[in-house]
Amino acid sequence: MPAMTVLDRRRHWTGGGFVLPTILLIALVLIYPVLVSVVQSFGQSDLGGTAPYRFVGLQHYIEIAGSAHFWNALGVTLIFAAGSVPFELVIGIGLALLMNESFRGKSIARLAVLFPWALPTALNALMWRWMFNSDYGVFNAVVLQTHLASRPIDWLGEPTLAMTSMIVVAVWKTSSFMALIILAGLQAIPGELYEAGRMDGMTRWTEFREITLPLLRAPILVALILRSMDALRTFELPFNLTGGGPIDTTESLSLYAYKEIFAYLKFNSGSALVVVQFLVVFAMSVIYIIALRRRD
Amino acid sequence: MRRSLIALACAATIAAILPQPSRAEKLVIAIGSRGYGQVVPHDIEGFTKANPGISVDWLKVSDVPNQTRQLYVTDFTSKSPTPDVFAMDIIWAGEFAKRGWLAPLDSYMTKDDLSKYNQSFLTAATLNGHVYGAPLYLDGTHLFYRTDLLEKYHLQPPQTWEELIKDSQIVMNGEHNPQLYGFVSMWAKIEGLFMNWLSFTNANGGGFYNAAGQVAVNSPANIAATQTMVDMIYKTQIAPKSILNDKPDDARTLFQQGRAVFLMVQDFVYDPLNAAGSPVKGKFDFMRIPYFAGHPDAHTTAMGGFLLGINPNSAHKAAAAKLVAYFTSHEAELWAALNANRAPGRPDVYKDPQIAHAGILPKLGADFDVGLVRPSGATGDLYPQVSEIMQLEVTKALHRQVPVKEALDSAQKQIEALLSK
Repeated sequence: MPAMTVLDRRRHWTGGGFVLPTILLIALVLIYPVLVSVVQSFGQSDLGGTAPYRFVGLQHYIEIAGSAHFWNALGVTLIFAAGSVPFELVIGIGLALLMNESFRGKSIARLAVLFPWALPTALNALMWRWMFNSDYGVFNAVVLQTHLASRPIDWLGEPTLAMTSMIVVAVWKTSSFMALIILAGLQAIPGELYEAGRMDGMTRWTEFREITLPLLRAPILVALILRSMDALRTFELPFNLTGGGPIDTTESLSLYAYKEIFAYLKFNSGSALVVVQFLVVFAMSVIYIIALRRRD
Repeated sequence: MRRSLIALACAATIAAILPQPSRAEKLVIAIGSRGYGQVVPHDIEGFTKANPGISVDWLKVSDVPNQTRQLYVTDFTSKSPTPDVFAMDIIWAGEFAKRGWLAPLDSYMTKDDLSKYNQSFLTAATLNGHVYGAPLYLDGTHLFYRTDLLEKYHLQPPQTWEELIKDSQIVMNGEHNPQLYGFVSMWAKIEGLFMNWLSFTNANGGGFYNAAGQVAVNSPANIAATQTMVDMIYKTQIAPKSILNDKPDDARTLFQQGRAVFLMVQDFVYDPLNAAGSPVKGKFDFMRIPYFAGHPDAHTTAMGGFLLGINPNSAHKAAAAKLVAYFTSHEAELWAALNANRAPGRPDVYKDPQIAHAGILPKLGADFDVGLVRPSGATGDLYPQVSEIMQLEVTKALHRQVPVKEALDSAQKQIEALLSK
């Protein structure tokens, strides 16, 4: 490597100078609060700052481990993620394949597919809450008028049904996100590969299995990680759709942490909860990366 | 040239931002604009006319309670000197007082002044004998009923729950309409459910506390009252199962569509129900929440509403106290009642001859005579958790996930453990 000239060095510093404000800003609004949360989770402090911070070690974590609320919220979160992400992936791949074909009205179809993703989750949830409403929702109107059921179905009022309903809304909204990322991957696959495949007499199914799917591994991994992270942090959906109910059967980790921090103002144990949630998400990401790398 | 212009602009901006030297005391009052929007400027004008040395700024806070609460939490944890005076939901008063975010009013107001407010409401703002908030306006739960349907079956408005259940069944059986429910209310797992539970249990001579002031959630009277709630869904079947998802406005919509005989929610539904074009306009009325047979003196109106409190870090606490006294005076609350339909927090206003011009307020006021408040004063900063425990356990019972006694025993145990910490 040749030695830096004066000009190079000056450019180097100029570049650094331009980046510095951004780094400082990120440090201020992102890294600092994260560090404070971690510090708070290991201590006990008074909200008004009248009593000094006291280090209590793992006390809050031990309390969390012994709390039935936490295990319930963790279970709910994992069931939600496991129930929604695979469906989103399968439907997302299907939508991406469809959008990759050329047909009339393709741009309109693409727009339509993107629509659910473009709507804010909170709005989606409120909209679906109305449709699921047991007394004047559209689903019960259809179900009752077609005599599929004789009594109104309590979509959001029965534990299993409420979780299913929540998963349906999540799949409806985020399959298009999966589709978008996978579509980008599809378009990067060179057409020659398919031509070669056709010359070798591949059927469309073998084409999909032998060419498309292997080359889609990277975008699928990205989509899976992003969506699983989102699912494990889900907040707006249960907050607006079910409020965590019935009872606490759809109370996700984020919703539980929100109550702990903003309703009860228990910042220390709430911070510990958030750290635990981070570890769960982190562990999931590591598992994904290892699992998909091993196949290569 | 350009540089000097910029410098000039900077100087002008700084001069504009810097506080102007002035002898007048400046107060900031935080109130949401919904329902009180026209009252605040009117009261400020009257107050500054009477107190020329004091000027008042209105900080319009959100009408979404949780947002306002978060704003206050941020302000008070950082020991901000403003707002000097702020409106707070009745259930925040105990918590804020406990956390040291309220200045006691008794050092600025006499016992006689404080005795003029609704005393039941005031207990929610009382901690260790000190009063921390002055009632600005009240709201509460009432029983709305369909006058046309009751008349059709020659029924009187029910005084007791036993009558209400019987009347509901008579109307439901008579109408043969599977879309018509007897009773709807806000039994989703929300604060309103806890208010409902307090109304039911107090109506049976029970309540959150026993006569000795100890937490007695699982008393026999409470178990019986809660069982009545459960039975209303599954046994007497006057309430739909979906009542367990309903928030106040969901229940109001059902009643307004003509799909319920009785509705138990807060008074804000009166205006939409009575609006032009409402299907039930002229076909409904309201009354106090019923009691159980043998308990005619029971307090059953679960009250909500707002109080004014003083920021302990305010630099002008004495002036702030004057402002609180003015906003909650007989004249100011009467004006709010007449012009903004806000129910006064002082019983003497309901006796004022002018109140007859305030629409339904005199009638609402009578129901507040049997008002009850949630245990937010005494449980202070732990109230949000107490409410959550009650909401969860009562919901479990209403879903028949556990028997009523088991749910209330569990709530009692959890609350005792929480409060003894």
